[in-house]
Amino acid sequence: MSLAIPNGLDNSNDRPGQRAPLVLGDTNYHSITEAVCKIAEQPPSRAWVIGFLVSVHLATMLGLCIAYLIYTGVGVWGNRAPIFWGWPIVNFVFWVGIGHAGTLISAILYLFRQEWRTSINRTAEAMTIFAVVCAGTFPGIHVGRAWLAFWLAPYPSLNLWMWPQFRSPLLWDVFAVSTYATVSLLFWYMGMVPDLATFRDRSKNPIRRAAYGVLALGWSGSSRHWMRYEKAYALLAAFAAPLVLSVHTIVSFDFAVSQVPGWHTTIFPPYFVAGAIFSGFAMVITLMVPARKIFNIEKLITIRHLENMCKIILTTGLIVGLAYGTEFFIAWFGQVPEEKFAFINRAFGPYWWAYWTMITCNVVSPNIFWSKKARTTPWIMFVVSIFVNIGMWFERFVITITSLSRDYLPSAWAYFSPTWVDWCMLIGSFGLFFTLFLLFCRLMPIVNMAETKATLAKELHMAHANHSHEDDH
Amino acid sequence: MTESQPKPKTVADDKKVHGVVAEFTDVDSLLAACRRVRDAGYTKADAFTPFPVHGIDTALGIKPTILPWISLAAGLTGTTIALLMQISLNGQTELFEGIQYPYIISGKPFISLPAFIPVTFELTILLASFGTFFGMWALNGLPRFSNPMFTSPRFDRATDDTFFLFLDAKDSRFDEAGAKALLGELGGEFVEPVLEDDSSKVIPKGLLITLATVICLSSIPALAVLRMRVTKSGSPRFHIFPDMDFSPSKDAQQTTSLFADGRAMRPDVPGTVRRGEMDWDLNFKTGIDMDELASIDAPRAAQLVALQSDVAVDEEDEVAAEEPAVEEQTADEAATEEPAPAGETGEASENTSVAATADDTPWLTENPLELSEEALARGQQQFNIYCSVCHGMNGRGNGLVNRRAQEILATTWTPPSNMHDPTLYSDVYPDGKLFSTITNGVRKMPGYASQIKAKDRWAIVAYVRALQTSQDATLEDVPGSQRSKIEKEQADVQAKLKAAAEAEAAKAAEAADAE
Repeated sequence: MSLAIPNGLDNSNDRPGQRAPLVLGDTNYHSITEAVCKIAEQPPSRAWVIGFLVSVHLATMLGLCIAYLIYTGVGVWGNRAPIFWGWPIVNFVFWVGIGHAGTLISAILYLFRQEWRTSINRTAEAMTIFAVVCAGTFPGIHVGRAWLAFWLAPYPSLNLWMWPQFRSPLLWDVFAVSTYATVSLLFWYMGMVPDLATFRDRSKNPIRRAAYGVLALGWSGSSRHWMRYEKAYALLAAFAAPLVLSVHTIVSFDFAVSQVPGWHTTIFPPYFVAGAIFSGFAMVITLMVPARKIFNIEKLITIRHLENMCKIILTTGLIVGLAYGTEFFIAWFGQVPEEKFAFINRAFGPYWWAYWTMITCNVVSPNIFWSKKARTTPWIMFVVSIFVNIGMWFERFVITITSLSRDYLPSAWAYFSPTWVDWCMLIGSFGLFFTLFLLFCRLMPIVNMAETKATLAKELHMAHANHSHEDDH
Repeated sequence: MTESQPKPKTVADDKKVHGVVAEFTDVDSLLAACRRVRDAGYTKADAFTPFPVHGIDTALGIKPTILPWISLAAGLTGTTIALLMQISLNGQTELFEGIQYPYIISGKPFISLPAFIPVTFELTILLASFGTFFGMWALNGLPRFSNPMFTSPRFDRATDDTFFLFLDAKDSRFDEAGAKALLGELGGEFVEPVLEDDSSKVIPKGLLITLATVICLSSIPALAVLRMRVTKSGSPRFHIFPDMDFSPSKDAQQTTSLFADGRAMRPDVPGTVRRGEMDWDLNFKTGIDMDELASIDAPRAAQLVALQSDVAVDEEDEVAAEEPAVEEQTADEAATEEPAPAGETGEASENTSVAATADDTPWLTENPLELSEEALARGQQQFNIYCSVCHGMNGRGNGLVNRRAQEILATTWTPPSNMHDPTLYSDVYPDGKLFSTITNGVRKMPGYASQIKAKDRWAIVAYVRALQTSQDATLEDVPGSQRSKIEKEQADVQAKLKAAAEAEAAKAAEAADAE
């Protein structure tokens, strides 16, 4: 039941005529169960406890900042005329972008039969949901009167006597992000049910067994259930795939449908989607590299998985770089003076430092992944992923702030300065994200056991076939 | 989900057999066994595996699912709902009259399908996903918290690494001994019967109590809101977020500590010129012959010119210029009236003699307005709006405000002047002075400069003159051409009065007769 690999845990090289295995070591079905369930069953490690305490404190800081904001008013932010979309919207677009990798890995790679997705998809999906939670927080409080945010929903109100404006990109955004959050949640939960049943069946503690029992919905592993389940999974993947592409497209409409120089461009939808995948995969690397070490699941999340993600980061990084160049070309080619000014101002105006940070992090740094050594060395990819996260935050900063700070009316031009509340909320949103993620690591199956076992079964079958084939000669 | 004791291997008398189960350790032997069971004619056989096994549905003869059709139907429902919602809420349609909200956005048509694509797409995906998710669980008969399969502790490994093949007792071909023999023959290990589970039909008490508590607690806010909606409360509304419910602005006639004069309503800043009045000369705006005033009282003329042309005035000069006016007023009047920049003398109509001696202002004696039917009509309209509330429609000083004030403020109320008092006739009270009084006020009467345009104030002066003439006029005052018309009207009125008197008398007579 084991698969010998020539060079230890490195499965990043293909042997001619045979795919390298995606599940490593002396692995069988039971050892996969053991490896994943152990994470939730053992007492938490010191690293987890420290990380969780720090995260919870930062998340509490976010909560206090929100309370202060609601109590005092949006003036506590640095948002001033003409920069009404300050850091809250920068953070919103940043987190929504992060939230793209999960469903992309789960849905699109599933439809393309990319089996290497199986052991990373669960974490990526969880990351998606937590990132969307962080993203949804910001527009919710940016509306000013957060307690009236429900006015965004089309509901019959006799007091208001009005309805949302369905021809506005801001309303499309509400529908896109909430649909994405809902479908991602369904997809994530449905994928977890068989693994929750495994947790249930291994639990000795009656409360734990009852809790996982409720969450597992009575899953028994019946073949009839599996048949419908797999059909439903494929259908949800088919629905979620265009949804992933639509979400950041619609977020980009918030900008592109307006008339602001530097925003009013048709390149925004594909450029935003590429950027979202780019930042999302970077965040998956940021989470996976330490997590596989801490939770000791390097045999399931292998170097090959990480290398594939690095390749996607390299590709989308090049797409993003191309988009930056194309924007400048169109600004010159279009011969609209305001557009030309907007882009020269981006690179050489008062925010030049943000622009060149973005270029360095997003366009220059991923090029190290042309080297196989960099693609297969965890610490290098971790460092690059941090760079990409920073760069993608700055991309949203550059787009939002530089265009708004200098638009058509020079007498209204201003320079944006964040306040301490802006800083605390940005840092606090990371606290919220990591709090949720660390709780997920302790309480839920972080690797899709059922799918990993199915992959192992296929590999065992193929190894067996190969073996008997060799025997014949 | 409760733990159950391991069942005895033999069938107890009071328990029904649910089926027979056997264990397999790898996929290939399970698949082979499944095919054999299917070929043996079993239609209700099922396998339990820790992961989806490729090809097991054909091996067991499982029919394809209708789930994709549910997804399609749900998705199309989403499309329909989204389009209907957007067209009905943002479009102008007869179908949904009363709730539509047509609002022009960037000149797009109300029903603009391209702008409706994003929401339609999202709702289609959302409902299709709901249909798929909930449809799948419904078709699978889940959630189900009791299952006879779970009575065997060995079955816990079905979600770990062991494969189970199960022959259902409901199958027409099922007999316990035969099923056991078949499974054993196919290489199944631990072949054993599964008993119907009757214990798990009862929901555990702890879970039930927890659920009930959670439901009760979570319904408290909703019930509280519902109760508040149907009961009346005398206490003021609770404002969590005050928004702009409590504006610090002052109401009319309130006092303030912000200004020295204590008034919340601020008078015009001296020198304020109304739009369109820049062209009018100073005589027209003050009612004073400025050339003559300059020759008699040069400082006061200079003061007036300065005020009207918005030039900063030295404070001392201003006070000096106002002194004579203040002296003639009572202390009470001085406190309530604005400084009279146009040299309002403020004398009471009762003591004309004093006023006549004190007032040497060269008032305009002729109305500078070109008098016409139209100007008089305008004057009448403005008088009826602004003046008649105190002075009465006929100018006798018996307006509604006056009558009401006499009742409630009799001791402190200064009654408005009667326009038909001879002291207000044009020979002693020139037109310019009347104009100045309307402009700047007198005694309790405020100035109307900020409400009534100068041109309309002159029209009011003209109308007041007409009013004064009309009340004590004789037929001789009327132009010859109009006299016959007036006489005819008088005759008509008298005839009507006479007829009315006769009718009254006849009625009285009738009443007397009836007695």
